[in-house]
Amino acid sequence: MDVVRTEAESELIALSEKARLNGPAWFEDLQAKARADFSELGLPSRRVEAFKYTDLKTLFKTAFPPATGSDKFDQVLLETALGQDLAGLDAYRLVLVNGQFDERLSDNIALDGVDVFSLSDALSNPPSWFEGMGQLEAGERDAVQALNLALVQGGLVVRVEEKVQLDKPLHVVFVSQGEAAQSFASRLYIDVGAGAEVSLVESHVNSGATGMQSNVVTEWRVGSWARVRHYKQTRFGDEVLHLANVIGQLGQETDFKFFQLTVDGGVSRNQIYLTFEGDDAKADVSGVALLDQQTHADMTLVMAHKGTGCESRELFKTVLNGEARAVFQGKVIVEPGAQQTDGEMMSNALLLSETAEFDSKPELEIYADDVVCGHGATSGQIDEELLFYLKARGLPEQAARELLIQAFVGEAFELVEIEALREQFAARASEWYAG
Amino acid sequence: MLEIKNLHVEVEGQPILNGINLTVPKGEVHAIMGPNGSGKSTLSYVIAGKDDYDITDGDILWNGESVLEMAPDERVAAGLFLAFQYPVEIPGVATMTFLRSAINAVRKARGEDELSIPDMMKLIQGKAKELAVKPEMLKRGLNVGFSGGEKKRMEILQMALLEPGFCIMDETDSGLDIDALKVVADGVNALRGPDRGMLVITHYQRLLNYIVPDKVHVLSDGRIVRTGDKSLALELEQSGYAEFEENAA
Repeated sequence: MDVVRTEAESELIALSEKARLNGPAWFEDLQAKARADFSELGLPSRRVEAFKYTDLKTLFKTAFPPATGSDKFDQVLLETALGQDLAGLDAYRLVLVNGQFDERLSDNIALDGVDVFSLSDALSNPPSWFEGMGQLEAGERDAVQALNLALVQGGLVVRVEEKVQLDKPLHVVFVSQGEAAQSFASRLYIDVGAGAEVSLVESHVNSGATGMQSNVVTEWRVGSWARVRHYKQTRFGDEVLHLANVIGQLGQETDFKFFQLTVDGGVSRNQIYLTFEGDDAKADVSGVALLDQQTHADMTLVMAHKGTGCESRELFKTVLNGEARAVFQGKVIVEPGAQQTDGEMMSNALLLSETAEFDSKPELEIYADDVVCGHGATSGQIDEELLFYLKARGLPEQAARELLIQAFVGEAFELVEIEALREQFAARASEWYAG
Repeated sequence: MLEIKNLHVEVEGQPILNGINLTVPKGEVHAIMGPNGSGKSTLSYVIAGKDDYDITDGDILWNGESVLEMAPDERVAAGLFLAFQYPVEIPGVATMTFLRSAINAVRKARGEDELSIPDMMKLIQGKAKELAVKPEMLKRGLNVGFSGGEKKRMEILQMALLEPGFCIMDETDSGLDIDALKVVADGVNALRGPDRGMLVITHYQRLLNYIVPDKVHVLSDGRIVRTGDKSLALELEQSGYAEFEENAA
């Protein structure tokens, strides 16, 4: 039977043939398998259950060429792309230009027990803890993850040794640099030793690209008793297709938190897969999305509980205006034996226009009998009673609306533990409300 | 001075107020009493400018100017204030943040300078103390987890902070025990003055033992059917509203 491919699929397959990275045999096998998987799966359409509301066959129309960037890109242009607030964040900055780690633009982290490599360096001389990269269990065979491995050109590899506590967050900056529509595929791999502590701020910014397609996979290997914070934000225009996966493997008694701020930004699909391997681990996954015009933002989560006594919490707040569309899919899997699991997820949407759409699909798959799992989803409009109350206290209509939107998302922002970042997020949100 | 002239109001085609005439001069406190469904809350909402009401006839004048075309926030800036029967809860907005926004919005609309944060804190904390509003309440989400009495005290605190020329209190006594009622009444009495008018809306006479009105009006079936002095409230406590409801029927 002839396979009918879309234009983008043919282009992506052609790109993957050229995108081979040198590495050890296991990696080359992995890449070959990823190419074969993508070639077989193609871009998922709405007939694939997990992509029911985000039909990539339709949304991914044409594949932009891989970014080449320019030698002229420097610190000054980077700071401009970051803006004052992000540039001023007190953190160790690690910069990826079009998906490739750029040592020249990055801070040199001279800390005992912290190692930073580019993906190609890690592949040419792989440390023992790096083996198994790309092999984390992440649900069903996933075309987006396969595509990332098939196309990956660069990335960042970080190792934080046992009991090492970073004094400042790592600020991982993905900058799309160029003058045309372009693409990149990149990977982050972070190995956190037992009892170590690391906070990571992931920012996506643009410097000149007129359109951008990015596919980023982040792998967290979190050792026992380790503490991880991962805050992600994207700042790019509308001509964007952003596909991202965060895949985490959590050891015993780990404490893992992820937060994402999405403000407009074309089409995005964020998948987060956490596997609770050890017992008594805790994870908190949350986010705020502020979407206007024709933005399409998909947040798909899978919390797979294997160990006993683990706790997962999800809280997502989405505000929609214009013709924006948001998708929330949250699945909690409790495997046989994962007793005393405590899983709770909540997704709330506030619709400011008649033409916005929110699709929410919570799923529970429970194979153990001593668990507490719950999910909730709400969607609604601004409460006219609350609005009148605020106006009856002297607040003009617009200010009253802004305060109510702020109140709606505020609970989620409180989960951001870095104060300066929380303030930046809140300021960006305020800018968005004010239109 | 607040003047209500021949006010007719409908909700979804149903007449609720059927020609109210009422004048509250500067410095006076008037009470409106009436049975459930007589239109008491509608009257307070219409003065404050809530949507959902069709004003089919008549006018509301504040210091000689009609307020009907004014948005609710413009009415507050002009000096009208409604203390709600059921203050809403807004999780996610810290009470202090809300109070600051409200005070500065009103100051701005009145052509006054916005207050600096230290001046604002001093003002709010000072008034809060007078009304026995605990500092931790100011940090919590607006009205979230507040008891009935705390919510009403918060209403009076807002009233004190926004310095209105005219206060409407809609069933401020509902849900209060006697101790809470006294605190609220003391707060209201502290705001009485020669330049401020008040309209106290209540079902029961009890509140009027503590906030003693200059005049009492009885509202029934959307009309003021009787007006008297404070003794009218005591009389109603004895006889109930049956007489007026029969007349209306």
